[in-house]
Amino acid sequence: MSIIKYLLDLGPVVMLPIIIFVLGLILGEKPGKAFRSALTIGIGFIGINLVIGLLVNNLGPAAQAMVKNMGVKLNIIDVGWPASAAIAFASQVGAVVIPVGLVVNIIMLATRLTKTVNVDFWNYWHFAFTGALVTVATKSFILGVIGAALDAAIVLVLADWTAKMVQDFYGLPGISLPHGFSVAYVPFAIPLNKLIDKIPYINKIEADTDTISKRFGVFGEPIVLGLILGLILGVLAKYNVKETLNLGMSMAGVMFLMPRMVKILMEGLIPLSDAAKIFMQKRFKGKEFYIGLDSAIAVGHPAAIATALILVPITILIAIILPGNHVLPFGDLATIPFMVVMIAPITKGNVFRSVLIGAIVIAVGLLIATNVAPLLTQAAIDASFKFPSGATEISSICDGANPLTWVILQIMKLF
Amino acid sequence: MLNKKKKVLVACGTGIATSTVVAEKILEECKKENLEVDITQCKVTEVKSYADNVDLIVTTTILKDGFGKKVINALPLITGIGEDDVLKEIIDEIKK
Repeated sequence: MSIIKYLLDLGPVVMLPIIIFVLGLILGEKPGKAFRSALTIGIGFIGINLVIGLLVNNLGPAAQAMVKNMGVKLNIIDVGWPASAAIAFASQVGAVVIPVGLVVNIIMLATRLTKTVNVDFWNYWHFAFTGALVTVATKSFILGVIGAALDAAIVLVLADWTAKMVQDFYGLPGISLPHGFSVAYVPFAIPLNKLIDKIPYINKIEADTDTISKRFGVFGEPIVLGLILGLILGVLAKYNVKETLNLGMSMAGVMFLMPRMVKILMEGLIPLSDAAKIFMQKRFKGKEFYIGLDSAIAVGHPAAIATALILVPITILIAIILPGNHVLPFGDLATIPFMVVMIAPITKGNVFRSVLIGAIVIAVGLLIATNVAPLLTQAAIDASFKFPSGATEISSICDGANPLTWVILQIMKLF
Repeated sequence: MLNKKKKVLVACGTGIATSTVVAEKILEECKKENLEVDITQCKVTEVKSYADNVDLIVTTTILKDGFGKKVINALPLITGIGEDDVLKEIIDEIKK
């Protein structure tokens, strides 16, 4: 145990490469290749750390100034899913999440509790995220691992539950989407959709996806979105022209660079995830199984895109007017498609309904994200991500606003 | 024009996750075939901005509009089912 403790204390930049190297060797990778991918993962963390610095150092003071000028208290920065994923993988639970998730999946497949073979190892970070928050809240690594395992199990069940609907609506035969963020909204979207069915007039409204995509297209371009938000914040913070323009450019830069850094992390994970994929496919093949994939494969659908585009300005508006919310939406405005990707099939592609349901879950989500901000900030500090001293807190919509994560967190806190 | 480097756009939901897997597989295969290729990754909502400058669009998600370019769905590279056929289709297109 003391060796493990020593490893965990080395920090993610050193620890994860070592773990990935050893895991790679166990799964039969060549030492040279395993070593290269291990190094790549460490480098990904260094890159993400740099960009979080760029984000927090620029947006932090602007958010503070805006709070002073406007009286709108949005002082928690939404760092976005790339940073959340890095924080999750860099946590103690993150170090073991791939084997833990695999074991949960194998046990559930063997006992017929699920039909989904979840080969989307990258998105195991959602389970690690839940586990990391549980660990920070309870100070227990074991409870964190249990929380992550619970998350993995529930997500598999939800993926099975929605598989038929997803396959029909998106035309993806044999596939389910065990995505920790996307499926979390299913239990809310189904009753809300039934409720809308009962409201006269409202239940007849439909919206045209083409017009929406044309008018709101700009919200699908993260760098333009980053620039515009940066400029607006600069104005609200009463920055001078030079400072405002610089803030706009910095935010465009964050939107562009953050995903690039995560891509490096991802590249390092590919050999490992390929090896594990082959392992799972050999054992669980055939018609009665679904292949569990990233919901990224479905977000291109016009209904999902149109819904997400409209929800970007709505999210900002809700953030400003919702009492009790302190999260300033930023990084995850580009992640909203993942929130609606399971809502669209439930409303049968009705964009008006999807937006309505989306707005409700975002409002609740922002309150959850506000609630978990101290834990997420602490998890980031524990993972030795750098922050300017004290003042700023961070959160994210994905997965800071994830109701499933929050419920598991509350349950685990009882122990 | 055999030596002209083909430009391939790989689009997925994030521009990072599944598109990286696909991009790596195309690169690997091109190396085997001694083909030079220039790969760009993007989000599916950004395709419009990138489409003008590429020869081929490969996607793992649903792409409604290819903006006049040839579009190949590479989902099999993610599921592992029918992987070789799609990879061959992509390589053949790059060789053109």
